[in-house]
Amino acid sequence: MDAFHNLAFGFTIFLQPVNIAYCFVGVLLGTLVGVLPGLGPSATISLLLPIIFHAPPVSSIIMLAGICYGAQYGGSTTSILLNIPGEASSVITCLDGYQMAKQGRAGPALGIAAFGSFIAGTIGVFGLMLFAPTLANLALRFGPPEFFSLAFMSLTLVTYVSKGSLVRSLIMACVGLIMSTVGMDPITSRTRFIFGLPSLLDGFELVYVAMGFFGLSEVLTNLGQSLNQEIIETKIKGLLPNRQDWKDSAKPIARGTVLGFFLGILPGFGAAITTFVSYAIEKKFSKHPEKFGTGTIEGVAGPEAANNAASSGTFIPLLSLGIPVNPSTAILVGALLILGLQPGPLLISTRPDLFWGVVASMYMGNVMLVVLNLPLIGLWVQILKVPYSLLYVFIVLICQIGAYSVNNDVNDVLLINIFGLFGYLMKRYQFEGAPLILGLVLGRMFENAMRRSLLMSDGNPLIFFTRPISAVFLVVALFFLISPLLTKQRIGKEAIEAKD
Amino acid sequence: MRELRSGLFFFGLSLLVLWESFRVELGTFKEPGSGFLSLFAGMGVLALSLVLIVRGWRIREPGKPHSHRVTFALISLFIYSFVLDSLGFIVATFFLVGVLLRLGQPRPWWFLIGVSALVTFISYLIFGVFLHVYFPRGFLGI
Repeated sequence: MDAFHNLAFGFTIFLQPVNIAYCFVGVLLGTLVGVLPGLGPSATISLLLPIIFHAPPVSSIIMLAGICYGAQYGGSTTSILLNIPGEASSVITCLDGYQMAKQGRAGPALGIAAFGSFIAGTIGVFGLMLFAPTLANLALRFGPPEFFSLAFMSLTLVTYVSKGSLVRSLIMACVGLIMSTVGMDPITSRTRFIFGLPSLLDGFELVYVAMGFFGLSEVLTNLGQSLNQEIIETKIKGLLPNRQDWKDSAKPIARGTVLGFFLGILPGFGAAITTFVSYAIEKKFSKHPEKFGTGTIEGVAGPEAANNAASSGTFIPLLSLGIPVNPSTAILVGALLILGLQPGPLLISTRPDLFWGVVASMYMGNVMLVVLNLPLIGLWVQILKVPYSLLYVFIVLICQIGAYSVNNDVNDVLLINIFGLFGYLMKRYQFEGAPLILGLVLGRMFENAMRRSLLMSDGNPLIFFTRPISAVFLVVALFFLISPLLTKQRIGKEAIEAKD
Repeated sequence: MRELRSGLFFFGLSLLVLWESFRVELGTFKEPGSGFLSLFAGMGVLALSLVLIVRGWRIREPGKPHSHRVTFALISLFIYSFVLDSLGFIVATFFLVGVLLRLGQPRPWWFLIGVSALVTFISYLIFGVFLHVYFPRGFLGI
């Protein structure tokens, strides 16, 4: 009952007009970036980081969270109507969603995507409300060795499930860790990696790295490709699914919700992966698997529920442990730090207004998204018609102004351009940004926990294995690190990638 | 050449990291120093970059075609960050937007000037006037 009492408290926070407004802006922006291909939630959150310097902390996190889960809604609209996935997590929706649209059933496809997302999102938030405080209480018993192993496991898992080569991802994770050590050592006060540059004394600020790596580099990568996109329009008739549609979709939505929620909690298993797993499961459970890909509503309902539930699931390790599981939540950790909040198990007890305010906003945000999505489908399609050659100019300008506005310093503009160049080159050479950002965000905690653990054990590294919880985290991490060496499949995949 | 080039880059970077880790004191397992974590991370990068180098040496894959649009966009962004202070926000942004629009797609000059002026004006209005960002005024004082 405590949870419901706290939720009521959360609603008193959320119902302040400023928080409702920020939530609305967040879900609106989330839907927008979900609709637009080439601009993801990580890029958008990083672009908005400068704004939160001037905004109230709870409102800021409500808005940034709104972008994370709002993006999952927007992606389905363009997948169904135009066969253009706005997000990686909507790619699978194209398979059956677009086929349904071609058969004149765009309305039910959009309707089930929106309602399925709403149901999964709401149940996911309910799970967040129940699991996060429990996990945070459990984590209060964690000592430095457990935090070290947890951070190590998170980094390993994110690296393992990254899209590209494992070697490249591991390099990026290590570079992220090295970048986190730049500046003054908090224990010895010795300066590291500053090479005589006083501006590096405080280390690399996440704002610039994230904006450059995710915002600017994403735009530059798109600029290097064709800027013309073909849009095929489909007519929309009746958005409400009929009784049969609901009957066919009920179980896929339920399965997608459970699967997405629990996979979302695990580091690295972002919303995109859960949709593929959900689709595969639905096909397996279906009495007519051969119809998948020809316009079955189950192929839309399951994955759309899964990506929204996963989006809620990612907030559990973030808010209860301070551990990000994907780039968006890594940037959210950075946002919490910028706002002077310490992510970790104490966050819920020290800032209940933040946690319960965000939870309440997620309930209402999901309602706003259903209301926003269905009537505004026409508008989202029109927005997609804005040529990228115009849109990218605005995004670049927001990056430049955003970087400048943090300290009103021209040098910051130079800094973001340097990170943009680095991020672009890394993408060009097929290195992913996610492990680097995670390494940078987790690095301080990782180093601190490691040094404190070694001090505690009088220099005995076995401390990480003799404590049961820490040992479990490390065994999981080592399994994922070693498994590619044991399976020829992954090695073969990398060789093929290298040849390609 | 992608693997070889990136491997060599990270190999060089790891050497720099290892050198700096030794310089700032490694410490011991009993009392880890400032360079302790970076030493291990640097060793990781070193080993992994060698994998890339060996792989790149054995399999020479063709490089991706280069986009001049991106090069020009980057050059204009760096020029923007260098001249923003001296030219001022309005003038520098007007030129930046014009160049970026032109890079995106060839358009008539009146369109470029008109849209650049409009975008500069709107961004100044939103950020400079409403959000009170203090932009540099440059030598023209605007």
